[in-house]
Parts: sequence; C-alpha cells; structure tokens
Amino acid sequence: MIQVRGLTKHYADLRRGQFVALGGIDFDAHPGEVFGLLGPNGAGKTTALRILSTVLQPTAGRATIYGYDVLTQSSQVRHQIGFVSANTAVYDRMTGWEMVEYFGRLYGIPKDQLDERMEDIFARLKMDDTRELLGAKMSTGMKQKVSIARALVHDPPVLIFDEATVGLDVLVARALLRTVAELRDHGKCIVYSTHIMREAEKLCDRVAILHRGKVLAGGTLEELRRRHGEEDLEELFFRLISEHDASTAA
Amino acid sequence: MNWTNVKLIFAREVRDQLRDRRTLFMIAVLPLLLYPLLGMSMFQIAQFVREKAVRVLVVGARDLEELPPLIENNRFAADLFDQPKEAELLELHFAAAEPRPDRPRIASPRAEACRAVLAGEYEAALYLPDDFGETARKFQRAIQEWREQNGGGEQETAPTLDTRPEIIYSTASEESQIAFLRLSDLWRRWNERIGEANLKARNLPANAARPFELAATNLAEQTGRHGTAVWSKILPVLLLLWAMTGAFYPAVDLCAGEKERGTLETLLCSPAERSEIVLGKLLTIMLFSMATAVLNLLSLGITGWLVLAQLPQFGPPPPEAALWLAIALVPVSALFSALCLALAAFARSTKEGQYYLIPLLLVTLPLVVLPMAPGVELNLGNSLIPITGVVLLLRSMLEGVYWQAIQFAAPVAAVTLACCLLSIRWAVEQFNSESVLFRESERLEVGLWLRHLHRDRGPTPTVAAAVSCGVLILLIRFFMSFALPEASGFGDFTVTAVVTQLAVVATPALLMTIMLTSSPRRTLLLHWPRAAAVLAAAALAVVAQPAVLALQALVTRLYPVSESLEEALEGVFTEAPGLWHLILVAAVAPAVCEELAFRGFILSGFRHLGHKHRAIVYSALFFGFTHGLLQQSMVACVLGLGLGYVAVQSGSILPGMAFHLIHNSLVVASVKLTPVALERVPLLRNMVSISDQAGLAFRWPAVLASLVLTAILLAWFHRQPHWESEEERQFEAIRDARSEA
Repeated sequence: MIQVRGLTKHYADLRRGQFVALGGIDFDAHPGEVFGLLGPNGAGKTTALRILSTVLQPTAGRATIYGYDVLTQSSQVRHQIGFVSANTAVYDRMTGWEMVEYFGRLYGIPKDQLDERMEDIFARLKMDDTRELLGAKMSTGMKQKVSIARALVHDPPVLIFDEATVGLDVLVARALLRTVAELRDHGKCIVYSTHIMREAEKLCDRVAILHRGKVLAGGTLEELRRRHGEEDLEELFFRLISEHDASTAA
Repeated sequence: MNWTNVKLIFAREVRDQLRDRRTLFMIAVLPLLLYPLLGMSMFQIAQFVREKAVRVLVVGARDLEELPPLIENNRFAADLFDQPKEAELLELHFAAAEPRPDRPRIASPRAEACRAVLAGEYEAALYLPDDFGETARKFQRAIQEWREQNGGGEQETAPTLDTRPEIIYSTASEESQIAFLRLSDLWRRWNERIGEANLKARNLPANAARPFELAATNLAEQTGRHGTAVWSKILPVLLLLWAMTGAFYPAVDLCAGEKERGTLETLLCSPAERSEIVLGKLLTIMLFSMATAVLNLLSLGITGWLVLAQLPQFGPPPPEAALWLAIALVPVSALFSALCLALAAFARSTKEGQYYLIPLLLVTLPLVVLPMAPGVELNLGNSLIPITGVVLLLRSMLEGVYWQAIQFAAPVAAVTLACCLLSIRWAVEQFNSESVLFRESERLEVGLWLRHLHRDRGPTPTVAAAVSCGVLILLIRFFMSFALPEASGFGDFTVTAVVTQLAVVATPALLMTIMLTSSPRRTLLLHWPRAAAVLAAAALAVVAQPAVLALQALVTRLYPVSESLEEALEGVFTEAPGLWHLILVAAVAPAVCEELAFRGFILSGFRHLGHKHRAIVYSALFFGFTHGLLQQSMVACVLGLGLGYVAVQSGSILPGMAFHLIHNSLVVASVKLTPVALERVPLLRNMVSISDQAGLAFRWPAVLASLVLTAILLAWFHRQPHWESEEERQFEAIRDARSEA
C-alpha cells in the first residue's frame, strides 16, 4: 500500500547550513493497520509525511502509495490520501459544512453523493455544531474534527495523521484516537506520527522510531520489546535515541 | 488543467474575500467616500485660496502725481481690477519713509523689503525706487518733447525710462506666488492706463496701441471636452494605481494570509494542481483589482461631473473614457494581479506581505508617471515600455487621437500580454517552490550569516550569491560613474573603460569566487574547450555581426541617442591613436572581465535554479543592465543570451571570450571603416552601405544570411554534449519520469 525506500530530504538554512532532514528511510504500511512514526521534535516525521502527501519533493529515494509515485504521479497520489496535521488549518471565513463540501467538490464527487457522504461523516464525527459555524469561531477540537471530515470526504484508502492531537484537550484527543481506530477497522491504511508514546501504544500496530532523519528501529510493538528487552515503549524510545546520540557524538 | 477546480477555487476565494470587512472597505466603501470628500475639499481649498487676501508691502509709492491713480484710500485703485472688490484681496502695508528705531538699520529699503518677505511678514513687496515718480514724470515730458521735435518725420531715438520698479516675492511660498500673480496683473493694467493716458494727451484713441483684439475659439469647450487634457492625464494613472492597490491587498490575504493561517498546506494536499490553485487565486485577485479600479473611477467620474466640472481648469471627464478605461483594465489588472500574487506568495505573513507594497510601487510608479514628463508621447519606442505604453495609449484614446492610438495598440497589447504571461509563470513557480512555500523565519545575524557563507560554500556559487554579484556590479558601476572623469577624449575613455572593467566588473566576481566557492575553476568555467567550439564561437561572432548591427540600428531608431552623446562617442573613436588601441580597450578588456563575471560567476550561480535557459536569461539581463546606456543595454542583453548559450553548451568560458573579443573588435572596426576603405573590398562593398546619418549598415540580404548562419551555428552548439548542474539533472529526471508516467 505505502512503500518507502531510501527516502532522503536535504534542507539548507542559515543556522545549520545544508542538513539532512531524512537520511534514506525505508518502511511499508498496509491496509487495516495503523503504522506509527515515532520520534522527537525535529526527527523528520513531518518532512516524511509532507513528502507522502506530495507537498514536498524528496531529494532522493522513492515513495509510492497504491503504486503511484509521489514525485511523478502526485495528482493520483493525492486522490488516494487524506492528510490531517496540526498545521492543516480550517478557513476562518467558511462554515464547517462549506469547507468539507469545498474539498469534496475538488475531489470531483457528484453533488448528491457528496451530500449523502457529508451527512454520514458529520453524524459519525458528531460535528453538527460546526455546520453553520465559521472557522474563526470554532474551538480547537471543532477545527480538528472539520479537518478530519475534510480528509475523509473522498473516502481515501490511505490516511495520514501528523501529530494530530497536538493542542487538543484530553477528551477531544481520546475521541480522535477512537476515530482513527475505527478507520483502521474499516480497512484504511493509516500512517500516524506522534511523539506521545502512550498514543502509539494504544493505537499503532507497527511503528518506526525516527531520529535525526534515520529509522532507529521498526516492527510491531511486541517485536521491538522482545528485540530490545524493554517493556515500556517510552523507555525503549529514550534508550534508542540516547544510544544513537552517544554513538554519533563518539 | 482542470477548469472545474479553477472555478471552485475562484468561487471560494471570492466568497472568502466578500466576507472580509477590510476588503469590502477597500473596494467599495473607500472609493465611494474618498472622491466626493476629496472633490469637496478641493473645491473648498480653491475657494479659500482664491478669496484669501495677501499682504503686500508697498515701498516708495509716493509722489505719483500726473500719473493714473495706482493707490487710492490705502488700496490699489479699484478700476485696475475686473471687479472692484478684488482690490480687497491685496492688503497694502506701506513702508515707513524712515527706518523703525526698534529694527537694526539695513542697507536700503529694498533690502528691508526682501527681509520682510523672506521672514513671512508679507507675501510680496512692491518696490518703487525713490525717484520713480519724478522719473515717470520726466519720461512723460520727454515723450511730449520727442513728439514735437520729430513731428516732421525726422527720426531720433525715443526716450527710455531709467528706473526699475520691482515685485519682490518667493516661490518657496504658495501664497507669495499668488501675490506675485495678482501684482503682475495689476501692474500690467496700470501700465496700460499710462499708455492710454499718453495716447489721449496726444489726441489719439486708446485702442491706437492695440488695434486688434485677438478672439480665441476653444473647440474643446464647444464640444464639452475642455477637461480632456487634464482627465487624459489623471484617469490612466488612477486606473493603474487602483488596479495595483486593488490587487495587492487580496493577493496578500490569499497567499501570505493563507500561509499564516495554515490553510495553504490544506489546499496543497487537495487534488488541485498548483497551476489550478494559482489560476483560481489569480482570477480572484483580478476580479477585485478590476472592481477596485472601476468603483474608484466611477466615484471619481461622478465627483468630476458634479464638483470638479465647476472649476475652470477642469471640465467633466470625456464620456467615452469609460469604454477605453474598461478595455485597458483587463490586461492591466491581469498584470498587476500576477505580480502581486507572486510577491505575496513569497511573504511568510500578511505583515511581511504588506512590506512588499512599497518596492512594488517604487518599481511601478516611475513607469506610470513617465508619460507625464514633457515630450513623452506615444511612439513605437515608448509603446514597448511596459505600463508606460498602456498609459500613453489610454491618453491618446481619451484625447481622441484615435489614429495614433490604433497604430500602437498592437505593440502595447503584445508587451502587456508578454509581461502578464511572465508574471503568471513567476507566480506558478513561486507556488512550486518549497523554499518559498515553507520558508521559515530566521533571524538574520551577520556573524552567523558570514559563517554560513564560508562553511556551506559549494563548488559553484548559490543563486543568491549570483544575484548579489550582479547587484554589486551595478551599484559600484553607478557610483563609479560619478567618480570617474567624463570621457572627453580617448585618454579619459581608456581610463574609464579599463578601470570599469577591472575594478567594477572583474574584481567583485573574482573576490566572490574565492570567498564563496570551493571550486573557482568550475565556477568560472576555466576548462579547456574543444578547438571546434572556439572556432565555432569565433565564426558565430563574425556571421552574427550584420544581424547585431541591424538590431542596433532598430533600437537606435526606436530610442534615439541624444546628439551630444553621439558626438561624444564619435569623438572618442576618432581621437584614438589607432585601431589596435581601440581594440585593446573596447574589446580585449571587456571580453576577459565581463565573461569572467557574467558567464563565469553569475551564470554558474543561476544554474542552481535547475533551468539552464533561465540561468542564461538572468545572466544576460545583468550583462545588459551593466552597460548603462539603454540602447547599448538592449543589444547587450541579446548578445548575452548568445554568449550564455555558448558558455553553457561548450562548458568553458574561452569560446565566449573569443566571441566577445571578435564581436567588439568588429564593432570598433566598423566605426573606423570609411567609404574609401570600403571601396577597396569589393565583397564588403556589395553587402554594406555607409551613410552620414545611419553609419555602417548591412543590406537586407546580408542580414538575412547572417540570421540563417547564426541559427546554424547555434544549432551546432545545441548538439554538443554539455555539463548539467545537479538541479538541472534532477529537473530533467522529474520531467522525464512525469512524461513517462
């Protein structure tokens, strides 16, 4: 479903000069599973997911979604994915209904089907209160629901969540995690990035731990625990990162 | 291109803008309030200025008996004005005969009057010398005696008045200028009264000195177009300024605002292609740009009809103006919308976006205001200047000079369309550029920046370094032009040319190469080329010569060089001790220095853009601008394209140097070529003509052959395998993969 091979991304800025945001990462994600991309801030998670969503272009390597190349078949890729992140905001001067409808029409969904689908999504996500409410007046939770509705409107087989619970209160975050789990149960392929280990433990079927643009470890949670002899994911995560930093410094 | 997506994006953006109170205020409310208020204010100010009395100091107006009355009851005589009440508009103050004891003694009453006017105590002073009355009376008597003595027809010199009254005023003050105009008019009438009195005393009718009154027929007034001259200047400028302002604010909100709010990334993840997003946004910005311009002009037009038409210098705007303005509005709005969109896409936030308005205005305003300069009229040359051409064309249409306007409508439309397309392309590129879309704010620290320059230097310069080098060369050249002596002879010309080439062109490029790159050899293309490439470049310089000279002639015809400059240039060439001296200064030095800078450092930097053709165009533009003189710059730009292409395709700087050297040598030699010398070379005689007006010119078959041979040689270069930058290779790879997919 999602195949990432040797994905590399270089940036340049004043402070760091030329630096490697992604140093050739590999992973696969399959339908009916949540694949977790775990890593601290600046690990390269957002860069990787932006490349998968075709917003950024890789410097090297290849990523395909449903066999479509993110670089050369970006238009087809965008039809296969729904992307939700802490950065994807809603329009201030549009109501929740207008916004979801707008994206549904961009995906070319016929009007009658779109209305039906939107009614279903609005009911499922319990977001009737956002129908007539302008984005500027929505709470953070409402905005995130609208973002998810926007990402789901065309019923994509792949969903990408990038730190989607950042800034949400516990109740809304729990509801979001529940929604993600439901979507997985509906057979969606989900890539979920986070730096909150509890979320990963609850939700992810397989994970890749990313640090400084490298995948330090990957597999199911069970496999990781067995391989590294550490039950607690947070401890395991901390150990892997510390060991990597120590070896780099040496 | 999916037009449904474009339509959807357009509809969303329009709805979004219409829900924004600031946009609505700018587009609809401001123009509806602005012009009526401005019109009222102007009317009030005009009334105020017209009716306000000015203070006039009168010095020495005593002892004016036997002359027609100038001053009565402490005012100027009422019969010297059209309306007796106008006398009240000049408030008279009389200078004391003796200086005031509380004031320091000043050399003369005149000096005291000057001081008082400069100090703002009076708006103007009427100074009559002490002996003015006596001298005037003597003059009257002298006239009488002269007539009696010369009554029989003997001719003798007429008496002259040996005294000089004076109005003292200051153009630094608006009110002082008004006082001057009123006093001048008054003095003219008093002079006429004296003349009439002289005639009457000699039993001649008053109109003997002015037998014919000239009648004036203003056709514009008869046809209701007396305001056309003013409106034809105002309306095009306002149209352009409002089209730009109307485009700018929505553009900032639709691009920088979306980035700031995080909604742009949401849209980029949607199925809409970048080009569709740009087009949807562009159409929205165009709509608001046009709406702003239309509402402003409508409001101005109505205000003009109602208020400004009351003022004598204004008339109502010509009725057909609306049609011409509407036609011009579409391309103008498209151009400004695309420019604003590209600029706004570059900004990280609305605040940053608003900072870009001033640079845009600074670039645009001179082009908008240029047509207002005296002598600037619609011709082929001016019609090819972006924006200026549109203003001039509109002016001609509004003035009713339709034939002239129709003649140049095509070039104006072509230039505007080309600028529109380039701007749209730039905007699309901005939306495709990750560094623009996801630019993060970095605090600029000089130390950090210098460390970055040294630490991160690559084998070849960055695009930013190439731009910096080009700008640095232009700036140094600008300031050096004041420091170096004006070339009045060959000696000065040699100093100026060599210093310019070495210090201004070559040195910055070489220093930057050493400091900012890790491979000077690769940067400056210091590779041995194949011998065939050098020979081909040399041949290209020779065969392209007729075409280049034809282009030069065309440019000079469109934008004539001033006679004084032409003479100065000719002087330099004729004073040169020999052809070899000229070649050394005007061909060898530029061939080495300019090639190192423009095809070396600058072109290498621009190749990081990922498009070799774009790199060639940008380096050619810098090469052209460095030539200073507009006519030279245009031709140099075209030559720069050829030189850049040769450098890229050959992978070496040497073929370009050979081309440059031979081309400049031939130009210098052609200036020295005389008809006598031409007669000695039969082959050349058939191809070339020399005249005093046009100088050396190739006949059209030679120019045609030159174009064909140039194309053949460029095609040969095109077939040569050449080095590609990493970005160019990546761009090619993506393009190939996309076309395969």
